[in-house]
Amino acid sequence: MPIVREIVRNKYLYVLALPGLLFLIVFAYVPMAGHLIAFKKYRLADGLWGSEWVGFDNFKFFFMSSDWYKVTFNTVFLNGLFIVCGLGIALLLAIFLNEIQSRLYKKIAQSLIFLPYFISWLVVSMMTFAFLNTTDGILNRLLIDNGMDPQNWYLKPSIWPGVLTFIYVWKFAGYYSIIFLAAITGISGEYYESAKIDGATRFQQIIHITIPLIRNVLIVLALLGVGRIFYGDFGMIYGIVGDTAPLYPTTDVIDTYSYRALRQLGDFSKSSAIIMYQSVMGLVTIVIFNAIARRIDKDSSLF
Amino acid sequence: MESSITQAQTGKLGRAGKAVKIKADRSPSEKAFVGFIYAFTGLFALVCLLPFWIVAINSFADESAIKRYGYQLIPKIFSAGAYEFLFRGKQVASSYMVSTTVTVAGTVLAVLITAMYAYVLAHPKVKYRSALSFLTYFTMIFGAGLVGFYILIANWLHLKDTLWALILPYLLNPFFAFIMVSFFRTLPYEINEAATVDGANDLRIFFGIILPISKPVIATVGLFYALQYWNDFFLALLFIDDYKLHPLQIMIRQLISNINIGAYVGGSQTNYGQPLPTYSVQLATVCVTIGPIFLLYPFIQRYFVKGITIGALKG
Repeated sequence: MPIVREIVRNKYLYVLALPGLLFLIVFAYVPMAGHLIAFKKYRLADGLWGSEWVGFDNFKFFFMSSDWYKVTFNTVFLNGLFIVCGLGIALLLAIFLNEIQSRLYKKIAQSLIFLPYFISWLVVSMMTFAFLNTTDGILNRLLIDNGMDPQNWYLKPSIWPGVLTFIYVWKFAGYYSIIFLAAITGISGEYYESAKIDGATRFQQIIHITIPLIRNVLIVLALLGVGRIFYGDFGMIYGIVGDTAPLYPTTDVIDTYSYRALRQLGDFSKSSAIIMYQSVMGLVTIVIFNAIARRIDKDSSLF
Repeated sequence: MESSITQAQTGKLGRAGKAVKIKADRSPSEKAFVGFIYAFTGLFALVCLLPFWIVAINSFADESAIKRYGYQLIPKIFSAGAYEFLFRGKQVASSYMVSTTVTVAGTVLAVLITAMYAYVLAHPKVKYRSALSFLTYFTMIFGAGLVGFYILIANWLHLKDTLWALILPYLLNPFFAFIMVSFFRTLPYEINEAATVDGANDLRIFFGIILPISKPVIATVGLFYALQYWNDFFLALLFIDDYKLHPLQIMIRQLISNINIGAYVGGSQTNYGQPLPTYSVQLATVCVTIGPIFLLYPFIQRYFVKGITIGALKG
């Protein structure tokens, strides 16, 4: 048995790997059995294996309701906004930070811009509430002070894709600008030197040197984002929107929808069908877009 | 723009590059562009800072002043009432204990397990390392999903309302494991051979030689784990009902959604003689929660920058 021989020969190495391997089996592979519940009518008393098979009934239930379209659209639409605005602003910030000559100014600005990355979504939620709540929120106070009517922002779903995108940019612009800055720093100074000799302005240097040379990084990050477009950020959406039902029409993503199906309706089978749908769509898109990313840039394709 | 283009054209005629550069920097449009860059980044940085300022300064505001004037850039009346109220109750101390325990225990265990596992994935002697890598990679692209995960923790492992439910699920993050793999691959294999000749086995090599020289990557990955444990509310939301085991993040959530803040924060012996400082208590709890991150930020920032850069380049 070659396997046994290999394990005996490197027994101490396999001992080192054992806790991690056990973890993956127990916490990542065993719960995959949960996908079976999508094809069953799950009852707690009967357990996973004892529950009755019902074929595709749970899927029919989900796909026949209008919820299917709504949560899929919200997930893809919000993620699309996050990718475009998040990467766009981060790229702009990185280019600008790179142009700043004053080291102190650059360091302080960069530290502040990176700061929101470190706080939890519930802290962000509390901050959002301080700005937008109806009775004492900062925004409504400003409106009143300027003679305008206060608005009930938590009852207006139409503004929330914008609010969430703003929050996303606020939290992650610093993170992505670090990646862009690292790429910009990697550009040889010779390009800029010869451009200067030719009399190029800073703006021209940005347009003709910096952006073309980090274009691949941008494309790869965007492709990796698109690969995960069917996965909503549960912590973000549930942390900020929570159980505010009036906002569901524009903010409910697949992850929050399936969470509520599980925890609030207690409907394991329905939740499982939604998650199975998401996992399959997610797997296909990740594999496709990772492959494209790898073709563009072998080194920076994720994993 | 127009003047800068003529600048570029005349620049080509200039003999010395240096002279051209100085000239280019002086042009009005160039100056305006640089000014815009400073203004934009400065403004963005201020927008990033503003919510922190509002939260921090208003946690020291008098509750009646917040009710009357709203949140202020500089409060009209200062008061430490929110903190007094918060620290008189038991909940914040208990939540702090839970968050600290989970973060410390989780980070130590996670770093150890991840480093051990990543070392094997990176070890050229291990024949099945690519199979192990794929096994690890696959969990990143095809998840078990919420239902299976919930049933595993709640029904099969019976970890509901225990701290283990907050620690165990994050012990091995494949992404961090691959960051460590890429670091271990850069170590010269001669270290290994020399130690083997001296009669050390792989366990001794790993704990005695490899771990001590891997401090930078351990610090980086460890800080990412610590931040994840400290900021997580997903696991507690799913598995913790007992308020004695509420971490700080869930405490914040309770303060947003719970109507009976007095009983939650203060316990049953609360004196209802005076109105509860609801808003300022919410803000004070946020400050207490992000306080440690804020204090450590100047020292830990560079590790995160490094981690993000490695992660993006290697992955």
